[in-house]
Amino acid sequence: MTVHDMKHAASDSARLEAVGGRLSRVDGPAKITGAAHYAFEQQLEGLAHAVVVGATIAAGKVTAIDTRAAETAPGVLAVLTPDTIMQLKGASDWFGNPSLQPTYCPLAREVTYSGQHVAAVVAETFEQAVAAAALVKVGYDEIPAIVDLSDGKAGDGIPIEAMTKEWGDAQAAFAAAPVRVCAAYNTPREFQAAMEPHGLIARWEGDELTIWEPSQWLDGMARTYAEWFGVPFENVRLVSPYIGGGFGSKALALAHSAVAATAAKMLKRPVKLVLNRPQNFTSYGGRAATRQTVAIGADRDGLIQSIVHRGINETAVDGMWVEPLGSVTSIMYATPNFSSKQNVVRVNTVVPGAKRAPGENPSAFGIESAIDELAHELGIDPLEMRLINYAEQDPHAKKAWSTRQLREAFAAGAEAFGWAKRSPKPRSMPDGHQLIGWGVAAGTYPVRRAHGEAVVKILADGSVVVESSSIDMGQGTYTILAQTAAETLGVPVSQVSVKLGDSHFARAGVTGGSRLAGIMTGAVYKAAGQALDELVGLALSDPRSPFQKLQANTLQVRDGRIASPRGEGPELSIAEFMAAIGRNRIEAKGDTLPPNTTPQERYANYTTIAKSIPHTEGEWSRHSWCAHFVEVRVDEDFGTVRVSRVVSALDSGRLYNPKLAESQWKGGIIMGIGQALLEEGIVDRRHGRIVNGNLADYMLPTNADIPDIQTISVGIPDAHSSALGGKGVGELAIVGIAPAIANAVFHATGKRVRDLPITLEKLI
Amino acid sequence: MNDQVTISPTTLSLHLTINGRDHALDVEPRVTLLDALRERLHLTGTKKGCDQGQCGACTVHVDGERVLACLTLAAQVEGRSVTTIEGLADQDGTLHAVQAAFLEQDAFQCGYCTPGQIMSAVACIREGHAGSDEEIREYMAGNLCRCGAYPNIVAAVRQAAQELRS
Repeated sequence: MTVHDMKHAASDSARLEAVGGRLSRVDGPAKITGAAHYAFEQQLEGLAHAVVVGATIAAGKVTAIDTRAAETAPGVLAVLTPDTIMQLKGASDWFGNPSLQPTYCPLAREVTYSGQHVAAVVAETFEQAVAAAALVKVGYDEIPAIVDLSDGKAGDGIPIEAMTKEWGDAQAAFAAAPVRVCAAYNTPREFQAAMEPHGLIARWEGDELTIWEPSQWLDGMARTYAEWFGVPFENVRLVSPYIGGGFGSKALALAHSAVAATAAKMLKRPVKLVLNRPQNFTSYGGRAATRQTVAIGADRDGLIQSIVHRGINETAVDGMWVEPLGSVTSIMYATPNFSSKQNVVRVNTVVPGAKRAPGENPSAFGIESAIDELAHELGIDPLEMRLINYAEQDPHAKKAWSTRQLREAFAAGAEAFGWAKRSPKPRSMPDGHQLIGWGVAAGTYPVRRAHGEAVVKILADGSVVVESSSIDMGQGTYTILAQTAAETLGVPVSQVSVKLGDSHFARAGVTGGSRLAGIMTGAVYKAAGQALDELVGLALSDPRSPFQKLQANTLQVRDGRIASPRGEGPELSIAEFMAAIGRNRIEAKGDTLPPNTTPQERYANYTTIAKSIPHTEGEWSRHSWCAHFVEVRVDEDFGTVRVSRVVSALDSGRLYNPKLAESQWKGGIIMGIGQALLEEGIVDRRHGRIVNGNLADYMLPTNADIPDIQTISVGIPDAHSSALGGKGVGELAIVGIAPAIANAVFHATGKRVRDLPITLEKLI
Repeated sequence: MNDQVTISPTTLSLHLTINGRDHALDVEPRVTLLDALRERLHLTGTKKGCDQGQCGACTVHVDGERVLACLTLAAQVEGRSVTTIEGLADQDGTLHAVQAAFLEQDAFQCGYCTPGQIMSAVACIREGHAGSDEEIREYMAGNLCRCGAYPNIVAAVRQAAQELRS
């Protein structure tokens, strides 16, 4: 190899490893060899196993629990009921609002949903605990349950004033518009269904609690445990090195978490509790079922005059979840008149929760279906329709977009898909007994921001350690933080190790709302920059430094070696330099908090979501954008729908690692295909039970359901959205997939399905 | 193994061969291969996703064929050769072609279904069911991936199949 070749190779690898390079996952080797130990795979001495018993009614009282048979079963250590489990203190909610109840019992006497935990069995082995749990006899006084939104007892619900968005006179403008469409759009209860179930291991040592639990929010969950047990926050350590998928479901400490931690305290032994798959459909909330009506009035050229939107989502009898249904409706298109209002309706369910793009996802199904209906009504191409009504600024906040590459997304997606060849009439592109349909829809997700911190250490051997209590559930945090530190410090990625998933590391807020990458690259960039400044400062000024006599103003670190930028004087590896000055570490903590942040504000920033920064803060409105182009093939005889092609063009700003970002986009698109065609939680109308609470009957997309997917990045760096120019990636791509498929199905068949999922009986 | 375990009178003394190593194990007859691997032998690379034979995360090889460890009793594999994800790479750490292709093609995100996907993919190729993308999709359809790595999994299986043929 020539010297020239070596330089070339080095610069290639530097490009690959820098921020924006297509580096393979640094945590990949552990995951493909089985060496990655997920949270509740830790091996502890004396581990006991707990299994929860769920209510078989959806509403009523527990009248008696007969534990005798279970207590005498082999290996049983304890049978816990509301009467025998230790009482906990009420914990504040995720905004930091104190609990309304002074005490908390994770086992229910009053049942408000089917599957709610009413008892738990702890035994020496998992098999013994499962067998004994089946022996627990629970008596109930059952009352009629409100099973879902269509239940006659459900009512109209509670208005959520904070969701109201209005300008102009939407009702009058709609009434006066020459062209009008108005329709109702429904989405069912959906589930996150991460492949790794929820569960944990809890261990007490004195009044110190260690929890190994898959977590999207170590600091928030640690706060909850600390408050439940009345111990200082610092006494709780959450450990979550790898998370087997979360999709919004793993950000909170839940009732089963409290059961395990309490059992461990009562038994003075570490306890493992993992929910079985059916329990994963009832122990925490999936996406709430939603109902929307969207009315659009336009002139004959297709220019929108008014949008009137009404929405409801289900919530629990004893808990509040608002799925913001007007979030996309209010910003996607320019309109002089607008009205959106929302109610929530209480039904007997576990409190619904966050599932990938909560709010934006169902919101887009409504507005992106409705605009397609308007386009058809007017005989205007649905892509052209969207460009006619392109919002040049945020129509709601009345602020300029920080960046909005949506026009570019439409153009790039249409070009790659071949949209120009679309025959406009429905049912006009048959292929044998299949009807081909092409549909388009847009999506968006706000840039959610908060603050983060990271510690960067340069060690004596020249290696670099990055520490943060943020997490990697597959988005690629380990990798992009290694890239950020490597580029900032001028060292190869192989010299950097990133440590995440331990609440004793530098603080981090919730990993949700696609905000982690922007926050944490910013924090690591800052910490690594400080460490570099200290390294270079020592090299210039330390009396033992070989560079000191250079009298230089600055030095350069490249490929792990320190030298003068002009090439004069010595060149040392970081390890050689550290040895020369007799240091064994340089450590810097960087955070993105404003100056003068108090300790209380810092604590609130990381353990609640109250300190999130609005995406419309200051003079900009910040969002990611995308355009999806979908081809479906519908069997005319059987009504079966297959997605045969997807091209999506996406604006997530600058990508920190395009290889991993493309994977996340594809994952969102695939989850959207499931939402459009397969996924629906079915509730038994007699007892309010989820009847398809397993992975065969609640159908996830399989490999055979998924065609080739092409993703195109049209983003440009957005300095208003994050330190390094990225916007959100993970949630964006699911937004707009379901309407793009529904629009394609309409184009194929002439039938408009407004009720997800689009199953064959709705088409024949 | 935990000394405090209450041994029932029906405990079986098993000799299992896992990744070429012999393991002696005293378990109740109801213990699945999956729980024996994860809870007794500390081989947690094999994942429990559903425990009902629906997701494929627990796929291992028994005598070279893919089986679901959650639907297999530990006692059923006595005298047979079990391979898990931990035993797939060479002794010197050289990755199996399927593992290397998964890394290169980014065929996983959270990594939880990945050991099962890889074990399934190795068998899929060995069975001769990796002839086309269509065939790979069909014969890999028993392994769910909620992160949605499917297109990359197909690319990885295609790549590994080509490498193993050549």
